[in-house]
Amino acid sequence: MERRAFLASLGTAALASQVPLRAQEGPAAASGRITLLHTNDTHSRIEPFGPGNGAISGLGGVSRRATLVRQLRQQLGSVLLLDAGDTFQGTPYFNRYKGRLDYQLMRMMGYDAGTLGNHDFDNGVGMLVEAMEAMEQLQHANAPFAFLNCNFDCKGAPALQKWIRPYLVKDFPGVRVGITGIGVAFAGLVAPKNHEGITWRDPYESLKPVVKRLREVEKVDLVVVLSHLGYNLNGTGPDDLHLPGQVAGIDAVIGGHSHTFLETPTRVPQAQGETLVFQVGFGGVNLGRLDFAVARGQVRAASGAAMPVLA
Amino acid sequence: MLKPSSALLCALLTLSLAAQAPAGKAQVLPLGPTIPDDPAIQKVIDPLAAEIKASFDLPLVQAPQGLLRGRRGEENLLGYWVADVMRTAAQGTVGKPVRFGITNAGGLRSNLRPGLLKVADIFEMMPFENELVVVELTGAEVIQVVKEGIVRRGGEPCSGVKARVDGSPEQPVFVLTWEDGSAIDPAETVRVATTDYLYGGGDSIPTLRKGRKPFTTGITLRQMLLDQCAALAKAKQELLPPAPGRYTLPVPILEAIRDKKLKL
Ligand SMILES: [Zn+2]
Repeated sequence: MERRAFLASLGTAALASQVPLRAQEGPAAASGRITLLHTNDTHSRIEPFGPGNGAISGLGGVSRRATLVRQLRQQLGSVLLLDAGDTFQGTPYFNRYKGRLDYQLMRMMGYDAGTLGNHDFDNGVGMLVEAMEAMEQLQHANAPFAFLNCNFDCKGAPALQKWIRPYLVKDFPGVRVGITGIGVAFAGLVAPKNHEGITWRDPYESLKPVVKRLREVEKVDLVVVLSHLGYNLNGTGPDDLHLPGQVAGIDAVIGGHSHTFLETPTRVPQAQGETLVFQVGFGGVNLGRLDFAVARGQVRAASGAAMPVLA
Repeated sequence: MLKPSSALLCALLTLSLAAQAPAGKAQVLPLGPTIPDDPAIQKVIDPLAAEIKASFDLPLVQAPQGLLRGRRGEENLLGYWVADVMRTAAQGTVGKPVRFGITNAGGLRSNLRPGLLKVADIFEMMPFENELVVVELTGAEVIQVVKEGIVRRGGEPCSGVKARVDGSPEQPVFVLTWEDGSAIDPAETVRVATTDYLYGGGDSIPTLRKGRKPFTTGITLRQMLLDQCAALAKAKQELLPPAPGRYTLPVPILEAIRDKKLKL
């Protein structure tokens, strides 16, 4: 179902471009490639940054991001568009449209999945759910995107719980991808009334069974974590740089929260090879790109770069 | 306009793919130097952008005297108002008393001129996306924070306290009390409303960085001010400047601050 929905959203042109690749590799060879495009901390930056914003003046904007994503999808075929949270808060668009516009535009751009940041709770759980519902109700060819998180216990907030999935599996020619998400602790970031009924759990411990399930039961080739923990907390809390050493079997950590501008992903050694840890600043200034070539369940090549969303 | 790292990446992927499938074509990315707008998305955004711009012209509240930052040596009544709104909003958010508020005068980019305020006036005065942060400090640290603000900037806009410098520039006597004139217990822990900018070390008030149990509210200062104006208008009240008297700095002291000679 998910796969069909995804293929439908790709369109025939992109599908056609996949066929020869598969044929070359032969029917038995389980190999392929996948590109992860990603954003984090977009903070309601619908329009590009105006003048007077220093180095980021004139950069970003949802409309241009949409074009860039569409071009890359047409060229590469196997693409996932992902977000690491903090979609909300930062411009009058959020104050006026309460995040509904942000999520609807994400669907129009073809996002496959996102996770939740602390600021996505700024108007409380009720308003967050309303924005999710507005996104789902939008009349659009693209399927609604998934909200992924495995360390928020939402039992006390059933309205939100039904929107949150611990993980998502997507199939592409020769690559099966598992994606999950983790969120930052509420203490000091989200007012208690705004996360009522949700309990934060340790992200490392929450990830272990999910990664295990993705590897052993879902048999994915690639495990991707959308993280809103922050890039490097220097040992004061769980973060993206320390995650690979704590939880084995993760190929990519797409990070957010710390608004860290990285040009290329950081390669972090882990028990089963290495993990690419990436984050692309904030405000949609850059679009992140991670490319993986996979053969027989093994990552054969991995790389990435930040792509500026230019005027 | 792909960066060299991206070109490298493309080359790397092309190589790895070529190794697996020799007949495969190299991947090239003919991305132009500019990215045009997506027509479908732009069609959604355009009317909303127009709506947002129109909302900038909406009237907020009458401010018959305006709120002015004050010239050098004058008190910053605009800043006092901002600090008061911050402290009140902080109390509402954490649900506990917040005894001290401080912001930085440099963040207030224009005066609010007398007359009917519009949304655009608040945006012009506060263009930054800085947000309210609540931290805990000791009374001694609050005193130090105010001192640092006086020495470096002639006193940053604050709420909840009164500062006075007596004596001579060579032998200044600094007195800080709560706004009702009562003494500050140096050992007491109090909640403080400030901005993420100041808490992060901006504008050289280093003691603010010692703030403990930081609570980042996610509320921008601008939004708090807009909300406050709307609340006043709803209550059919005018926006009036707070009373002066939070900083009492005699001229010789002000001159010593200007000449960077004051030590407190
Ligand atoms: Zn965040």
